[in-house]
Amino acid sequence: MVDIANEIKQQVQERRPLTLAMILTNRWFLYGVSMLAFFLAWDMAAVARVFSSGLPRPYEVVLQLWRMMFDPLAGKSLLGHIWASTQRILIGFTIASLVAVPLGLMMALNRYVNAIVKPLFDLLKPMPPLAWISIAILWFGIGETSKVFIIIIGTFVPCLLDAYNGVRLVEPELYDVIRMLGGNRRHEIIQVCFPAAFPAIFAGLQIALSIAWSCVLAAELVSARSGLGFIIILGMNLSRPAMVVGGMVVIALVAWTMSQLVSGLERFVCPWKREIDSR
Amino acid sequence: MREERHPGQAKIECKDITKVFIQKGKQRVHVLDHISLDVKENEFVVILGPGQSGKSTLLRIIAGLETPTEGHVRIDGQEVEGPGPERGLVFQGYMLFAWKTVLGNVEMGPKLRGVPKKERREIAAHYIHLVGLDGFENHYPHQLSGGMKQRVGIARAYANNPQVMLLDEPFGQLDAQTRYFMEKETARIWETEKRTILFVTNNIDEAIYLADRIVTMEGKLPGRMHVVYRVDLPRPREHTDMAFLKLRHEITEASELTL
Amino acid sequence: MAYEQVKVKTPLILRLLPILSIITFFGTWQLVVDWEIVPSTMLASPIQIFQLFLVKWTEVNPDGALLSQHIWTSVQEAFTGYLLALLVGIPLGLAMGWFIVVEGLSRPIFEMIRPIPPVAWIPLVIFWFGIGISGKVFIIWIGGIVPCVINSYEGVRMTNPTLIQMARTYGATDWQIFKQICIPSALPMVFGALQIALACCWTNLVAAELLAADVGLGFLITMGRKLALPDMVLLGMIMIGLTGVVIGVVINYFEKRLLAGIRR
Repeated sequence: MVDIANEIKQQVQERRPLTLAMILTNRWFLYGVSMLAFFLAWDMAAVARVFSSGLPRPYEVVLQLWRMMFDPLAGKSLLGHIWASTQRILIGFTIASLVAVPLGLMMALNRYVNAIVKPLFDLLKPMPPLAWISIAILWFGIGETSKVFIIIIGTFVPCLLDAYNGVRLVEPELYDVIRMLGGNRRHEIIQVCFPAAFPAIFAGLQIALSIAWSCVLAAELVSARSGLGFIIILGMNLSRPAMVVGGMVVIALVAWTMSQLVSGLERFVCPWKREIDSR
Repeated sequence: MREERHPGQAKIECKDITKVFIQKGKQRVHVLDHISLDVKENEFVVILGPGQSGKSTLLRIIAGLETPTEGHVRIDGQEVEGPGPERGLVFQGYMLFAWKTVLGNVEMGPKLRGVPKKERREIAAHYIHLVGLDGFENHYPHQLSGGMKQRVGIARAYANNPQVMLLDEPFGQLDAQTRYFMEKETARIWETEKRTILFVTNNIDEAIYLADRIVTMEGKLPGRMHVVYRVDLPRPREHTDMAFLKLRHEITEASELTL
Repeated sequence: MAYEQVKVKTPLILRLLPILSIITFFGTWQLVVDWEIVPSTMLASPIQIFQLFLVKWTEVNPDGALLSQHIWTSVQEAFTGYLLALLVGIPLGLAMGWFIVVEGLSRPIFEMIRPIPPVAWIPLVIFWFGIGISGKVFIIWIGGIVPCVINSYEGVRMTNPTLIQMARTYGATDWQIFKQICIPSALPMVFGALQIALACCWTNLVAAELLAADVGLGFLITMGRKLALPDMVLLGMIMIGLTGVVIGVVINYFEKRLLAGIRR
């Protein structure tokens, strides 16, 4: 046995006595104060009609959400609308990532593919995805296809770009390791390129997800009979701010949950990254 | 000594190696100039030189990762035409696969050569034990300290059962304490499983501590061989031994190395 | 065998392929429209778009404004939102990075608002501000402030702790450390935010003009859709892309100048 104890790092935590100043600068205490102040200010602003009738009181929003859970709106309950939006995102997102990630990897691995695709990609990249909404409606009408299309357009760019950069930024000496150990080009790709690009691909997926939300909402605002964007635009048309704010709250919750799910998936697929992040 | 090879034939044979790089498409950089070097079977040879003396390039040429502009490298009389598993390379920057555990890293060589799972697990376990990392099999590289990372690097190179080990400033990134410790470990590992070793460093003490033979390089490009020293000190060696210090003094005097 | 690993020049084919690729793209596009594979109500050819581009400098109809007016309005809105985002976001992010009280008080609110895409603010903003410029600026601001806060926060957080400890041993106050050490060391990240925030603002411009506008590039696109004029839609899209690139280049230039000025 060899002693390697002298190489293991130790973590020591300092304990401090509890004082009033400690409590006042405690992060969780401040978080609580902040939330409380936020909702109080919101309520007061609503009561004082700062935005005339444009701001509902927080409890009105909760009430509205409760009602929407059970009373169907345009034939769907709140959960139905959540699912409608989520479904669009999932379809568009899946199609985009299935095409964009392999294409990005191929661009990074093959100069010829890169030479053909890169210029086209650079040409289309500066166009904001939301700008595609109108052309999508001209092409596909106002049905599901145009919504999915916009999501594909919006998520394609970050998926492809991060897969591409992920492979590009691999330490080239790692390929030397594979070759020294007796591996060939195929081994280099399977053992080094793909795993090394995973974290970057996931970063791309996270960005893509938030863009997908923007896209689906914008598409639903323009024309839809279901979805969370439909709820908020309906609230606007009916002059019911509680419905609008309620819709926004649900959007925030669902978007946040989905991004947590992607992070969870990343931790599952890339266990080696676990502690790099938490540091 | 194996009998089928006729006596006196070197394990590694470098003949008149010259290397010229071309930078940014036009600038020519002359890195190595007519290097000839023979290493015998199971000999521990250290190439000692300051930074920018072309010693790492020489090692990469022997590894097959670079082609020499002139000259050739032979291993067991066979010309080197590319990287291959009969040579194990240990990198200065560890170059571990961050997405593999210690076990996954060490068994990579056998895996690439198609060794069945059970067998390669045994091989990996053996070398993990040899480098003293028992109990760390399922750790990821980022959970290890620098010295432990390089142990994995050494085990990974050993696991392919190479006839020649090439180490490129393996302890350059370690602190003095760990470095000293790892030198001892390297000597121990080499005594346990003898291999022909070519070790590149810029540290005189490390060179004298480990080497059977020290080849010093001149301190400027193009890299040329300077002096060859034979180290006949008994092992295990002591840094404070009189003979050790005398040799150290001699090497320092003879070269521009003031380390 | 001498120089094989040094590629002195790219093969001819690699230099030709990008050009070929672009030509094929535009050629196919043009032909698809010319041969009426796709009906003209759905797609306009590059040449038609270019013709409209030339005409729109002098012709107000059918959307009610010249191209220059559209561009100018959009740029104005985007920049107002952008500047406001910088003015609020950067100081907030810097303070959140250093003062625990600021972080504790603003973080939960920031984290609550962050997942809401700027698009989702449109209906509420119309309630609050009507359909004037202030509502659009607000949506652009919401989009731009997030990267400003995050980058400045991270910038301060990444300050070398040894520097802070050194300052403490010299007896510097919290405020002095913040001003003399944290802010300068966060600057590169803050400059990074300039570009990212601009891209966010410019993207959100389309969102802002989506529902309520009477002039602007986003409005041009929406109008083109309502009138079923694909050339107008595509012209609007291309102009947004192009203007975005131009602004990006300009900002990049200033960023380099500023950074060079700081390093000197």
